[in-house]
Amino acid sequence: MIADSPLANARDPGATVSKSHRFTLVLAGNPNAGKTTLFNALTGLRAKTANFPGTTIECRIGRAHIGGQPVTVVDLPGLYSLDSSSPEEQVAAQAVRGRLSDHSRADAVLLIVDATNLERNLFLVSQILELQVPTVVALNMMDMAEEHGLQIDPAKLQLELGCPVIPISARYGTGLDMLHREIARLAASVAEPVGFVPPKPACTGCSGCPFQARYAWTEDVSSRCVAHAHETRGRRTEKIDQVLTHPVIGVAAFFAVMFGIFFLIFQVAKIPMNLIDGFFAYVATFAAQHLPEGLWSSLLVNGVIRGVGGILVFLPQIGILFFLLSLIEDTGYFARAAFVMDRLMRRIGLPGKAFVPLLSAHACALPAIMSTRVIEDRRDRLVTILVAPLMTCSARIPVYTMLIALLFARSPIKASLTFTGAYAVGVAAALTMAWVFRHTILPGESKPLVLELPHYRLPSLRTATLQMLDRAAVFIRSAGTVILCISVGLWFLASFPRIKAPSPTASPATKVEAARDQLEHSIAGRLGHSLEPVLRPLGFDWQIGIGVITSFAAREVIVSTLAVVYGVGSDVAEEHPDSLYDTLRDARRSDGKPVFNTANCFSLLVFYILAAQCLPTQAVTRRETGTWKWPLLQIAYMTGLAYLAAFGVFQVLRHFGFA
Amino acid sequence: MPESSAIPGRGEAAPPVTGSLVRLPELEPKVCAVIRRVEAEDDSMDRLKALGICIGRQVELVKRGDPLIVRVFGSRLGISARLADRVLVEPCAGRCECPDGSKATT
Repeated sequence: MIADSPLANARDPGATVSKSHRFTLVLAGNPNAGKTTLFNALTGLRAKTANFPGTTIECRIGRAHIGGQPVTVVDLPGLYSLDSSSPEEQVAAQAVRGRLSDHSRADAVLLIVDATNLERNLFLVSQILELQVPTVVALNMMDMAEEHGLQIDPAKLQLELGCPVIPISARYGTGLDMLHREIARLAASVAEPVGFVPPKPACTGCSGCPFQARYAWTEDVSSRCVAHAHETRGRRTEKIDQVLTHPVIGVAAFFAVMFGIFFLIFQVAKIPMNLIDGFFAYVATFAAQHLPEGLWSSLLVNGVIRGVGGILVFLPQIGILFFLLSLIEDTGYFARAAFVMDRLMRRIGLPGKAFVPLLSAHACALPAIMSTRVIEDRRDRLVTILVAPLMTCSARIPVYTMLIALLFARSPIKASLTFTGAYAVGVAAALTMAWVFRHTILPGESKPLVLELPHYRLPSLRTATLQMLDRAAVFIRSAGTVILCISVGLWFLASFPRIKAPSPTASPATKVEAARDQLEHSIAGRLGHSLEPVLRPLGFDWQIGIGVITSFAAREVIVSTLAVVYGVGSDVAEEHPDSLYDTLRDARRSDGKPVFNTANCFSLLVFYILAAQCLPTQAVTRRETGTWKWPLLQIAYMTGLAYLAAFGVFQVLRHFGFA
Repeated sequence: MPESSAIPGRGEAAPPVTGSLVRLPELEPKVCAVIRRVEAEDDSMDRLKALGICIGRQVELVKRGDPLIVRVFGSRLGISARLADRVLVEPCAGRCECPDGSKATT
């Protein structure tokens, strides 16, 4: 799990504040000013993500050696003004004032300013300089400013602001040596406060707008420091935007982009996923062969190795998703996507920004929930987190495949229609539930859209790579431990109480039979039996009941459980899925009727579309919301919804004679 | 209306309103206007102000619709129409003369 007080960890552990306090620099600035790029340029791989103490707000903390001195750099959430109401910006504003946590403080501010939009950026600059804390201004995107015919005089700006102003281009690394020198000087002297004279409005209070005087000042300063030759800024952006913000073409373009992302996720991720799968299968077989057969080997193979493998197999998808999202985010495109989707999403009470997380949930709910951080409003974000797991994630695909193979083995058209229908049911359920939450526990309209549409620029592969590594690490830390515990717990439920194991020399058929008897005899098996009255109205017998229980933590497990319960053997089922499907199709109840019929296959399908059945999702929801309340609600409403829907489907189909 | 009245006072209270006010979504696209009044203050409005939509600033409607796009300083903002409806502006002749040459050239 994430350390409780990471900002305190940013210093050497056990160090006292006065003795070995590392010089701590907070990196502040407007969103889209290039903060992340500069942060990566300063710290590179020596950075980690942590939460601000007592909040679920993330920041990146990195170490750098600047001018021979160790410096801690904290990347704050982007902010437009110091007195904003959003929690992210409030945390950032507090950090700028020097307070990072109860134990650690910031020594100086590195203020990053977008040179191509000096007037707007100077608003925050004036607020921060008024605090009289040691500050260096990094005038970023000088390359773009020059390209567009803006001539900025950094020396003049330095005089106006009364603090060092260093022109840089974080993307290309120009000016960074000068910035290093300035930071080193700041760290060495433990810096004098800036000599800034706050802008004096000619008439405070009479306008009723505290922003007005400040903007008059920024306009003034900017007009003295910037010369406009023939300026071309924003023309290209405007041309592109005529297409990408178009109400129809823009939406189509957005779906094309997302389709491209999914194509890459499913196609490219397949290769490392197969490798990971193969690796864990190999390790499991190796362990099974070289360990004496028994409880410990079973725990290691079926509990630990399978559990860890089952979650790591999703890592390539998560990595690729975050890599691509970061790449696209970097171009400035997602602001346009949020813009065009806003009107459609508003109808169900969600902001346009919720759309990218909801679409990402079609790969995996975990990165989707992690990426809801782009949504500023807490309620908007909670609704998105609650409904995201209803989208068809890739772990549902093996379950759908099995059930659809049982339903329509001979009709590829019906099979693909059912598959598409399953996706549609997931989307419809998510949108409906969002609307329901908006009208019940999280009432109110979504925050009206206020969004900067930054200039388009080329994305940075370095930023995207670092983002991908960082997200993967967060995923392993927050989901990994939980998964391990859960898979060991489920192994326990499926293995105890023990019955006599077959001798190591027994035939494979005897072993498969023994495995089935063991499962039936276990706690999970008994639970399956005792749940039967509850599951009967859905058309599930006790064998399916066992599958529902063992797949509680990870839905795809139902496939291997059914393989064990119906005596196929989980290894055979993995290598020859058709043999599993055949066995399931041929399975008979005591009265001679097939176990799987149209009615209960559809009912099971609907159940798996809607049911939570993925505890890592709850672990991530817990991490992102800070309480157990929301993940518990998530399980409760999803399971309830799944039960009711499966009940309805089964009863209706049975009524029409499909059972 | 003389061109000069379109430029807001520097650090002074905004010059007296001379023209008629229109709501931001109803402004003609590509016409410069000065923000004169903002109705119903709240969080969203503060956010808008921090981004430059504040009394005395020049804005230009880039794209109509909901949400709409406005330009203030050099940056372009996407704003929900129901929020923009609370911003009253006074149109001036021609395009903005704010320091953004891309407009002055047309």
